[in-house]
Amino acid sequence: MLSANKHALRLARHARNVGHTSSRAASTVVPQETDVVIVGGGPAGLALASALSSQPILRNTLKVSLVEASDLDKVRGWAPPSGTYSNRVSSITNASQAFLGEIGAWAHVEEGRTCSMEEIQVWDGLSDARVTFSMQDVLASHLPGMESLPQMARLTENLNLQRALLRHLDSTSAVELFDKVKVQSIQREEREGGGWPLVHLSDGRVLRARLLVGADGFNSPVRSYAGIQSYGWAYDTTAIVATMFHHPRTSFQTPNTTAYQRFLPTGPIAFLPLSPTASSLVWSTKPHLAKALLSSEPGVLASMINAAFRLPEVSLRYLHNLIVDSANTGSPLDAQQLREEISWRERSHSIDSRSAYSLAADTTGVPPVDADALPPLVTDIQPGSAASFPLRFNHADEYIGDGAGARTVLVGDAAHTIHPLAGQGLNMGLGDVEALFHCIQKAVHTGGDIGSRTALLPYARERYFENHIIMAACDKLHKLYSFTSEPIVWARSVGVEVLNELDSVKAALMLNAGSQSSRRGPSRTQLGASFAADGVESLARTMSGVRTLTEGVGNMVGAGVQSILKGLSNSQRP
Amino acid sequence: MSFLRTARRHLHRNPLRATKCREFPSSSKNASTIADARNGTSSVNPDEIAHFSRLSQLWWDERGEFGLLHKMNPVRMEFVRQKVLEMQREDGFEAVNEARPLEGLDVLDVGCGGGLLCESLTRLGGNTLGIDASGSNIAIASLHAAADPALSSQSPQKRSGTLSYQHTSAEDLLATRGPKSFDVVCSMEVIEHVDNPRTFLSNCAQLVKPGGHLFLSTIARTPLSYFLTIFAAEQALRLVTPGTHTWSKYINPEEMTDFFLQSDSIPATSEDAARQVSSRPWISRLYGGIPSRTEAEVRGMIYLPWKGEWTLVPRGAPGASVWAEACNYVFWVRRPFE
Repeated sequence: MLSANKHALRLARHARNVGHTSSRAASTVVPQETDVVIVGGGPAGLALASALSSQPILRNTLKVSLVEASDLDKVRGWAPPSGTYSNRVSSITNASQAFLGEIGAWAHVEEGRTCSMEEIQVWDGLSDARVTFSMQDVLASHLPGMESLPQMARLTENLNLQRALLRHLDSTSAVELFDKVKVQSIQREEREGGGWPLVHLSDGRVLRARLLVGADGFNSPVRSYAGIQSYGWAYDTTAIVATMFHHPRTSFQTPNTTAYQRFLPTGPIAFLPLSPTASSLVWSTKPHLAKALLSSEPGVLASMINAAFRLPEVSLRYLHNLIVDSANTGSPLDAQQLREEISWRERSHSIDSRSAYSLAADTTGVPPVDADALPPLVTDIQPGSAASFPLRFNHADEYIGDGAGARTVLVGDAAHTIHPLAGQGLNMGLGDVEALFHCIQKAVHTGGDIGSRTALLPYARERYFENHIIMAACDKLHKLYSFTSEPIVWARSVGVEVLNELDSVKAALMLNAGSQSSRRGPSRTQLGASFAADGVESLARTMSGVRTLTEGVGNMVGAGVQSILKGLSNSQRP
Repeated sequence: MSFLRTARRHLHRNPLRATKCREFPSSSKNASTIADARNGTSSVNPDEIAHFSRLSQLWWDERGEFGLLHKMNPVRMEFVRQKVLEMQREDGFEAVNEARPLEGLDVLDVGCGGGLLCESLTRLGGNTLGIDASGSNIAIASLHAAADPALSSQSPQKRSGTLSYQHTSAEDLLATRGPKSFDVVCSMEVIEHVDNPRTFLSNCAQLVKPGGHLFLSTIARTPLSYFLTIFAAEQALRLVTPGTHTWSKYINPEEMTDFFLQSDSIPATSEDAARQVSSRPWISRLYGGIPSRTEAEVRGMIYLPWKGEWTLVPRGAPGASVWAEACNYVFWVRRPFE
């Protein structure tokens, strides 16, 4: 009896399997034929959909669907009260902005909420060695078509960009948007000679994809379906983000268009301008400290931000411990206590209370001489804007699926997750989208199958090493700056001072950041490469003594070496 | 003209009996059974067919045996696209169809293999027929196309032309369909595999409608091509199965041009004779050894290993006939209007 039951069960299972795989009639859902299925409605996914809908030929040739688990209406209807800002802000490079302009999406960005970034000041938390990147480093006249963009980058709330992309998509209505719908599973269709991916959605629909695009973030289901491995690690670091309010700069100072970043041994703290009186914070620090800071009252966070840009590292370490310890004992420090503590430490470091380095500095009248070297003093944190997330480094082994995972491609965070210290995550994603868009365009032009490896390979070729170089540079920079031992601090400070002299290296670094289209590519890539080549030469002359630094700087100069690497990578990958 | 000698030598070899016919299921074209090939005019080489049948499983493995061919496809298609659009503009078409330049045109691909070119031609709007002397190639090509809704005429979101496949040869198709049946005839990387290139060319040419296009791609018979395609690709690097190519069967661009310069290369149909249509050569004259761009054109295709891509050598590149067309090239010729 038992065995008969088992047998029947097996038969039933077999019948179900047969019904599932061999005949469409047996399964209730007929798959919807789709040329491009984009999983993920973040900036990268929306940008790809936007790009594909911007071209009449692609619009008429390709059926594009985008699947997003959350409610896109929330992004569409995003209307923050004026003067308040979302805490997720990205610096959109000129290259990325040019691409977004080309596909017609930038016109939908509310420019009043964005802020031009005209200078970046970066300094070492231990030695105070400082690098200044400004637009003088990259003469606008060197970049064809970019004369109208005097800024280095444009700080933009991610939501502002996402809303613009959605508005652009709504205006063309060429892309089918499935929101509030999850990807339940992705299966490979069973078919002789290789099946296409079948995307099963939570609303019961099934999409049959000629090309399945994973824009689905770090835990990418598309990446798992494609069987693409990735390598990476979690940094023992958490990023705190917040919107900060401050007094406007006085008329004696440059306007609030400078980004500041101080590399502390616990991680970099960055100040990104949004408006004359508001800026965005990205503070990477140790997880326990982040937790203590976020649980204390807002005034404490504001004072700690001010202190983190100003006080010597030894005092910062003391304050960190004080905050963590008092949080642990259940009697957290209040803002008044912290201010007193800070002013005592300022006195012991003999910081003049009229100097810009003092938290008590007067923000009216004639500013102290060193005022431009520091961000404005934070007065308040926008309520509800302080948040945190863990930092990771992750890079997929491949960008395009193969064999059983064929017809898949990864873009954005699904392909790479990066330390935010250079603010390049979003730009790398947009660079991916631009390159993939051009590949698809080219394939459609010649009647190719956009899901084929042949059509997608140039995308992986163009992006993989480019992204790898940026990621490696950021990772190295993170590690280089977390050392506190004397020789490394010395080497690093000398290195940064040397770097400051090498305008060409800085220019190469900045040009490299963000998307480089293959169309506009040659001029820009060549420009970057020649800058970097100059840089290597000057480095060789200037820095013969600073060997320790070459690892870190070498990777940054890698911007130029990347063209060589590209060649190598291509010859190695048949 | 050694290819003519080769051709004559093989003239009386056993022709393929192409009897099986397989069409893509959704096609409305009727699948007629093909009569036995006529002895003496066949250009099909049975050994070559057996060779490719063995390989046909691998046609769509983009990283395998045919990887280089997959990569070449966009370049050949780029040339087809450019040339068809160029001539449409030359003919004074008001609005050329950039998205689907082959829309409404009857397109034939001779020696379609796994259907690489056919699928692309169909996506560009062509009502495409792919023929191959190997039945297993036709089976593979049909199977592959069946997976793609864009190639099925029953698809609700129809944006391409129609696609059908038939197991037959150029001469048999000529016999059943009659001459002047197609607006575009392509035969890519095929002529270097046939025994009787002169007959083959003539058959292909007869199938072209007046004002229609003939596209061929092949390899020039030069020391460079021996080094690259036989020594490097087959023997040293094994990118291609040894025995795929026979150097002596390669055809030089000038031989191709010569063929279409002669007025007696392509036989006039009895109908033409009755209407007293003179059979004039497709290329009227050469200018410094080069035909006019509205009559015929040769373009080199070069593989760039460091990019992993083929590239179409630009028209009029300095010294192109010496370096660029010394190995792989595409050839286009247009049948004159009557």
